[in-house]
Amino acid sequence: MRKLVFVLGGALILVLAAVALSRDAQASRQAAPAANDSLLAPVLSASDTGRLKGPTQPIFFRHDIHAGQFKINCQYCHYSVSVSSEPGIPSMATCMNCHLVIGGTDSTAQREIKKVRDASNNKQPVEWVRVHYLARHAHFPHMRHVKVMGPNACGTCHGDVARMPQVFQVNNVRNMGFCINCHLERGVSRDCSVCHY
Amino acid sequence: MDDIETQGMDRRRFLTVLGVTGAGTAALSGCSTGRVEKLIPYLVQSEDQVPGIATIYASTCTECAAGCGVHVRTREGRAVKLEGNPAHPVNQGRLCARGQAGLQALYNPGRVRSPRARQADGTFKDITWDEAIATLASKAAEAGGKLAVISGAGAGTFSTLLADWTGALGGRVVRYEPFDHEPVRAANRQVFGLDSLPTYDFARARYILSFGADFLETWLTPIEQQRGFAESHGYRGGEMAKHVYLAPRMSLTGMNADEWHAIAPGTEAPLALAMAQVIMAERSGAPEDANALRGVLSGYDPEKVANEIGLTAEQIRRLAREFASAQPGLAVAGGIGSQHRGAAEVCAAVNILNYVAGNVGVTVRFGAGLPTADGYAAMAALIRQMAAGEIAAVLVHDANPAYALPRSAGFAEAFAKVPFKVSTATMLDETAALADLLVPQSHALERWDDLHPREGVRGLMQPVMEPVYGTWAAGDILLKTAQQAGGALARFAAPSWESHLKAAWQEIGRAAGAKDLQMWWVETLAAGGLYAEAPAPMPVRLAATASQVAGAKPEFDGDGAFVFSAYPTSMLFDGRGTNKPWLLENPDPVTKITWQSWIEVHPDTAADLDVREGEILRVVSPHGAIEAPVYVYPGVRRDLLAAPMGYGHTQYGDYATGRGANALDLLGAPGEAAFVPYLSTRVSVEKTRRYQKVAKTEGRNRQLGRGIAEAMGLPAARKGLTPEAAHHEEAGGAAHEINTERELKAIAGFAEEQHEAATKGNYLGEHPQWGMAIDLSRCTGCSACVTACYAENNIPWVGEADVLRGREMSWMRIERYYEGGQDGEPLEVRFVPMLCQHCGNAPCEPVCPVYAAYHTPDGLNGQVYNRCVGTRYCSNNCPYKVRYFNWYAYSKRAFPEPLNLQLNPDVTVRARGVMEKCTFCVQRIRGAQNLAKLEDRPLRDGDVVTACAQACPSGAIVFGDRMDPESRVTRAAADHRGYHVLEDINVRPAITYLAKVRHPVEA
Repeated sequence: MRKLVFVLGGALILVLAAVALSRDAQASRQAAPAANDSLLAPVLSASDTGRLKGPTQPIFFRHDIHAGQFKINCQYCHYSVSVSSEPGIPSMATCMNCHLVIGGTDSTAQREIKKVRDASNNKQPVEWVRVHYLARHAHFPHMRHVKVMGPNACGTCHGDVARMPQVFQVNNVRNMGFCINCHLERGVSRDCSVCHY
Repeated sequence: MDDIETQGMDRRRFLTVLGVTGAGTAALSGCSTGRVEKLIPYLVQSEDQVPGIATIYASTCTECAAGCGVHVRTREGRAVKLEGNPAHPVNQGRLCARGQAGLQALYNPGRVRSPRARQADGTFKDITWDEAIATLASKAAEAGGKLAVISGAGAGTFSTLLADWTGALGGRVVRYEPFDHEPVRAANRQVFGLDSLPTYDFARARYILSFGADFLETWLTPIEQQRGFAESHGYRGGEMAKHVYLAPRMSLTGMNADEWHAIAPGTEAPLALAMAQVIMAERSGAPEDANALRGVLSGYDPEKVANEIGLTAEQIRRLAREFASAQPGLAVAGGIGSQHRGAAEVCAAVNILNYVAGNVGVTVRFGAGLPTADGYAAMAALIRQMAAGEIAAVLVHDANPAYALPRSAGFAEAFAKVPFKVSTATMLDETAALADLLVPQSHALERWDDLHPREGVRGLMQPVMEPVYGTWAAGDILLKTAQQAGGALARFAAPSWESHLKAAWQEIGRAAGAKDLQMWWVETLAAGGLYAEAPAPMPVRLAATASQVAGAKPEFDGDGAFVFSAYPTSMLFDGRGTNKPWLLENPDPVTKITWQSWIEVHPDTAADLDVREGEILRVVSPHGAIEAPVYVYPGVRRDLLAAPMGYGHTQYGDYATGRGANALDLLGAPGEAAFVPYLSTRVSVEKTRRYQKVAKTEGRNRQLGRGIAEAMGLPAARKGLTPEAAHHEEAGGAAHEINTERELKAIAGFAEEQHEAATKGNYLGEHPQWGMAIDLSRCTGCSACVTACYAENNIPWVGEADVLRGREMSWMRIERYYEGGQDGEPLEVRFVPMLCQHCGNAPCEPVCPVYAAYHTPDGLNGQVYNRCVGTRYCSNNCPYKVRYFNWYAYSKRAFPEPLNLQLNPDVTVRARGVMEKCTFCVQRIRGAQNLAKLEDRPLRDGDVVTACAQACPSGAIVFGDRMDPESRVTRAAADHRGYHVLEDINVRPAITYLAKVRHPVEA
């Protein structure tokens, strides 16, 4: 009996793994760099976020509006990506640079922007849910990758964020194979101690 | 390899199978963790913090009175490491173990977290700052002239404010330091008429005589002196100074001497005077006015005093002649080894010795000495007043007299009679535990402050982070109290301590002739302070009282068989280091003991008493008794027992409380003396027949011919001999072939194979080959590198129980070996910093079943934690024992909140079951490579400095690329003194040691 459970369990895992793999493959195909024409972001209400991919964030921040429709440079907010291993997340003050003036056009946007303003006024920073993170024993120097691949290469790992109403993980960056594939293709170092120390 | 393949299973295939079976569990647990990480942004981006990049603030170390400059490395708003400030004239970029461990004072879990007041039932209750200040203000005003303040010796804007503040009320300040060099000052008053401490130029001295002054560990400014000592005593170009240590116990300073003479306790003064007599009699060239001394010196003919000292008259003459002929020389005294009741006479005699040899004004310079405290006499007077009920209130700041004074001095009893006692201590120490009100001051890294350790040096401190707890700078406590109290204190009107300090520095800036004060302030703050040229030495003449020197033997209390010496260790100092686990885990450089106190007994004495290591001995003096395990040490006289200070705390946080025995319990009250004599009692011993295993990290203390710590005589070094050739010559020429033909043949094929493998795949092309050179003629064994390594690499301490099991995690350790010391041969000590040798042909790599230990293209012996499954095969196969296994989740225990804030975010915190070891600070290598890439340039020599090399006060460690023919490490490793430890096993280490050089042993 116990054996049977194991066999069934094993089979289930294999099926799940296969599904996951094929989804990953599709996702990376989707994430092929899109022609960066005018990206008009769809109108969505905050109640849509549950149906969107990726974790629901405390504020329905739309990368597709900021980076897509308005073509704000990634580095305006992720300010340290070209100098540090950490890309940096914008301080509440950075948000307020624009949102002091911009209050939103539709009711959803107005409601979400109010949350930003409240957070800033109440000195209560927003606790974003992290989408991409590595194991603690792996070190990823963002600046070095941006230096070599250029400032618009973010999508190589993060997918086409400019089209994402809610950010989700396109590539499984926690899987070392994803790193290694790229390093193999480009013929750069695959030495363990480059990342693991 | 062959037989594994014939069985049809190689390592990789074995793992592939293992991997598939393992995948099920991994997938299940991997999917179901549901871990959510949060990203919390700043409200307003700080201008000087970039995430992922360290911000460095200049500050000043407060762990001892030397006032070294530090660079505080902060990451994301928290201090993660203390390093030396290269611009600071005292330490020039280096930092000792105690200084680096200052971080554990900042993050100590035992800190007093808010003001606390004693309640009726005797316990403390948390109160608000407003309440605390109100109480303090009313009590201070009430006490008025009956207020006393006990503070440390640190001089600066705060000490001036404290003196003015106390003076305004009519009270007085007693500055007390356990080691305040009062005997040196007394001697300078007597011999030169100067009431100050001189500075000693060790770098210039060609002959160093130390009469029990431990200038490499605890005496005056250890880092500066160690740097100078390495300059003069380190071998370079056929020359090195000679160092002779004269004291009954061989301290770390004594271990670095070319000659150690275990003279009888209390005979330093006659010895120094006899040497002065020889110099005066045999040489001309002593200053004119020294002739006045001829009369007094004539009483110290070597023949007359030799017997009492324990040397022969001929030895005294030889030392005197050597000392006088090596120009300039330097004799130092006033350290712990000669701090008996006659310490002032010793210092006076040594002053005269320096004077007649012409060293005063050359290597002994007056005009820029350390600030000193008020001496024990002032403290004794205060104790009497407190006992008599003449004191209404006491404020204790930066001092812990309830612990640091011998119990027989009666401080605690007298202190208890004071109606109102306040302490600003950051930790609940013995004195604070007796207080009625605790007003915890902020740590030096959390507040504005300055320190004026000597003429020409003013160090600044700035808050590098938000206070860990709700503490205040002591300056704010005084100012707020003054504002509350008004009256006599009303003139202290500065709104805050910060503004008070900055106003004081405006004055300093104007005096320094700054044109733009704002610009000047920013520059000074970035530099860590204001450094002027050391003032020209004052001209010094003999005072009339100089000829009154006497060399009478001091008295010792009691009539036991042994003289007892209590000494500060280089880790715990006077006991202020005992709350820091880094210092408890870092073995004492002399005995290699961790976490425990001990009693040093000479091997012959141990045989006579029939005791062995670990047997608990009860040592009894007329003033008290202590019990501690025996440590058999050939570096003490047969008639001397020695025990470290710093143990036996009854308060001072969980790490210190109840640990070991307090050696001060054996000392008598100094009475009317101006200083506490730490070598003043005779003791007897009683066997307890109990036993305690000594938690030491030393294995065998003899090399047994393994050639680990090599040394050669100065003549051999001058000839440019290799350590091996020097051996042959010094041993009289018996040739010893290491690589016989058979051995060479056996390794030839293997080496070729390795080389071939190293030119494929990842290893193709040009890579740096990281390497290190360690000069043993500069290494003093001080162990600053060990703490630097702990701090940089998040190494957890393991504690006493695991040290006893041999599980200490020190990636870098200092091995200490004895030579001689038996059959009448002089005892010689050698130190070897031992860390992963990053072997080119590493034995650990091929035995790892999971390729966790592997060789990187840039010549590192890599250790991939996430691959490691903990077989420990690598450690078994390592000939250097430098791989350490993480037996428990040590880091959870080692970094309780808030100590976890000190973790270096660049380095993985290792989990249980993982092998770890020195990485050559690979995170620093990668950091430097990333930076070079951003700047489109190749790496330059010196871009990568490992933590150990950065900390080393002697500059013994050089790190760099061995492929670069011009790099410092390549040049250093090419030295004829270079050798590899265990070279014959053909592991090709990347670390080259340069053999120690010693002066030929003289009879």
